[in-house]
Amino acid sequence: MTDVVFRLLRTPQGAMGLVILVLIAAICAIGPDIAPVDPEKIDFLGRFRVPGAAHPFGADQLGRDVLSRLLAGARTTVPMAVAATLLGTLSGAVIGTVSAYLGGRWDEAIMRTIDAVMAIPGLLMALLVVNTLGKGSLNATLAIAVAFAPGMARVTRSVSLAARRQDYVSAAIARGEGGAWIVFREMLPNVVAPVVIETTIRVAFAVALFATLSFLGLGAQPPASDWGLMVAEARPFLHQAPWMLVAPGAAIALTAIGFNLLGDGLRDALNPRDER
Amino acid sequence: MIPILDIDGYTLEYRTRAGAVRVLDEVSLQIAPGQVLGLVGESGSGKSSLAWAVMRHLPGNAQELSGAIRLDGEDLRSMGARQLEAVRGRRIGMVFQDPATSLNPTLSLGRQVAEVLARHRGMSAAAAWQAGIEALRHVDLRDPAALMRRYPHEVSGGEKQRVIIATAFACRPELIIFDEPTTALDVITGARILELFRRLREETGVAGLYISHDLALVSRVAERVAVIRRGQVVEQADARRIFRAPTHDYTRALVQAVPRPERRLVTDGPGGPTVLAARGLGVAYGRARLFGGKPVMGARGVDLELRRGEILGVVGESGSGKSTLARAFSGLARFTGAVVFEGRALASPRQMDRAYRRAVQIVFQHPDASLNPRHRVGALLARPLRLYGGAMAELPRLLEQVRLPPDYARRYPHQLSGGEKQRVAIARAFAAKPALVICDEITAPLDVSVQAAVVELLLELRRRHGTAYLFITHDLSLVRQIAHRIAVMRRGELVDLLSVDALGSEAVHPYTRELIAASPTPVG
Repeated sequence: MTDVVFRLLRTPQGAMGLVILVLIAAICAIGPDIAPVDPEKIDFLGRFRVPGAAHPFGADQLGRDVLSRLLAGARTTVPMAVAATLLGTLSGAVIGTVSAYLGGRWDEAIMRTIDAVMAIPGLLMALLVVNTLGKGSLNATLAIAVAFAPGMARVTRSVSLAARRQDYVSAAIARGEGGAWIVFREMLPNVVAPVVIETTIRVAFAVALFATLSFLGLGAQPPASDWGLMVAEARPFLHQAPWMLVAPGAAIALTAIGFNLLGDGLRDALNPRDER
Repeated sequence: MIPILDIDGYTLEYRTRAGAVRVLDEVSLQIAPGQVLGLVGESGSGKSSLAWAVMRHLPGNAQELSGAIRLDGEDLRSMGARQLEAVRGRRIGMVFQDPATSLNPTLSLGRQVAEVLARHRGMSAAAAWQAGIEALRHVDLRDPAALMRRYPHEVSGGEKQRVIIATAFACRPELIIFDEPTTALDVITGARILELFRRLREETGVAGLYISHDLALVSRVAERVAVIRRGQVVEQADARRIFRAPTHDYTRALVQAVPRPERRLVTDGPGGPTVLAARGLGVAYGRARLFGGKPVMGARGVDLELRRGEILGVVGESGSGKSTLARAFSGLARFTGAVVFEGRALASPRQMDRAYRRAVQIVFQHPDASLNPRHRVGALLARPLRLYGGAMAELPRLLEQVRLPPDYARRYPHQLSGGEKQRVAIARAFAAKPALVICDEITAPLDVSVQAAVVELLLELRRRHGTAYLFITHDLSLVRQIAHRIAVMRRGELVDLLSVDALGSEAVHPYTRELIAASPTPVG
């Protein structure tokens, strides 16, 4: 495990991504404590204040400090998005690999079910799940995981089909190995590259999906400073106070870039063939 | 007389992260008009790099340090991209190792042949198509007009290679480079391709550079042979002389390693009880469907038995059902009939219990595919110990048994050479303390000298453990050295099952005789 981290740091993308993500993790951990102002302090005289000395990123429609809200909001935004993505992609990867391993009728049954689920758009699916389970951040996380799993299962299955035909799987079957060993130890490690890349790309989507759910009143509720919610709230004031939208938008983009860079680095670091 | 190809003091390096790697070192070769030069070397010797250097298609990290490559007196190295386009395919043809990957699967054979003719001989589309049919007829392909409309997956490997050869010869080049053209084909098909090559050469008088790892084969097709080792030509001589009287130590070792049927490596006979037997074994591929054809029979009605310590060689051309037999015995394919193990008749892979799985082990052809690239050698070897019982402390002994140092346990498969990987696969099979090891073409991807060492290792393990082998191969010379009995398969059926001494007798099946005739035996 340590040599994976070491190799990760030696790739420029991996090192860069890791730096960005460590920074974001630090903000998640201590953000509310280093916020210069109380993120929920309303100041009617300072509405839509231009970025300056008092408010580095400006103030919003209620005069709240955008920087403080950003720092405080990281804690609700990033961990939820990451958790939802991990849950969705990992379960999708396992379903895809199992389907490829079983093959035949089982494969057919699993994949047709996946197709049926995929026919429902991701957002609609998430709405359906939240409506069934009830409002709340945990349920929103689950909803996004459910929305992500089918796509991931399809991607993983196509890669796993190639791994399934390899002789090391035949060797394991000839040895009398059980299905769990073959799926988790022989096949999954060899399909990890596309899974990692998909996962890192989907983190950004998850942030956006959370924002959408919050916007519809099903995720985080005002006055929470969830980044997605901040973007949604800033929308009507785009022409009046663009900084309200730019700051959380840039934060989301930075997170996405961080995860994508980490994904590129991980893909190389996890491959033992890569000797760099 | 100006040589057709003149390589003079050519040195090539590849820049890698670990520094510059010299692949060709002061290589000088000449090919006279109408002459065929054989270039023999093991994998990594730089022989393919030389072919690509002549074709002027080197990877981006290649650095040419010195030397010249001249085609009929013209310097190829100083030519621009435009001039090279007129040389490649037109003046220098190339035939690749694997016909399955050197044809575009999405284009019909006719389009691929006609395109080359239209491009290099300036023909119209219709004329090129007609010329393509003629070219295919010339390489003894049946019904060439229909063949032109087929796609690569609709014809056999031998037919594909004939199409490629036809294309290469159709442009009437001055030089043709053959990069192991028969390695991917089975013995009989390969022998026929060589025959075709000989005939076309006599007709056209083309010069050739024939690259191969097989010294015995090269000495039959080439007039002169150059032996290359780590980028250096160590010996260059007349084909007949190089086999009879090699001067360089390395050439001598290569000649030594070529399997000769008359030199037996196993002296003791098989003894003891039957380990495994097949009774009317059959394997069908694909399910019978409502619409569509019948299932393809991979093997049918096979009866054979193996005694303790016996080596049974299974030979036949590709598609004859050799590997199907291995898949049935190792429980990878559903079968009809029965596999008899320890007096019990097993009717399906489900009845193969742990004792059976332990006793019957399989080693696959390609260690790259059979060793999981994400597992370390230690983890790979620990798995059978954990499954069938055994102490982890045995690990160093397992590695030492296949003559690998114990610290290899920490390495990944890709950090090992091909021969070392195959040793790891063998060690994994022997970790189970098996009664029978199925060897499915395990020496095919290895160099001749490595192959000899692996065979010697197998024999030593047999002496020590009394293991029986089901040795599947297409190399009849090798199997005649080691096997007690030989099973000959053809189209899924066992046509011959006889003792190795009886091979020369009159009683053998005509197909077996054809196989013996086709297997390359060294001249001299």
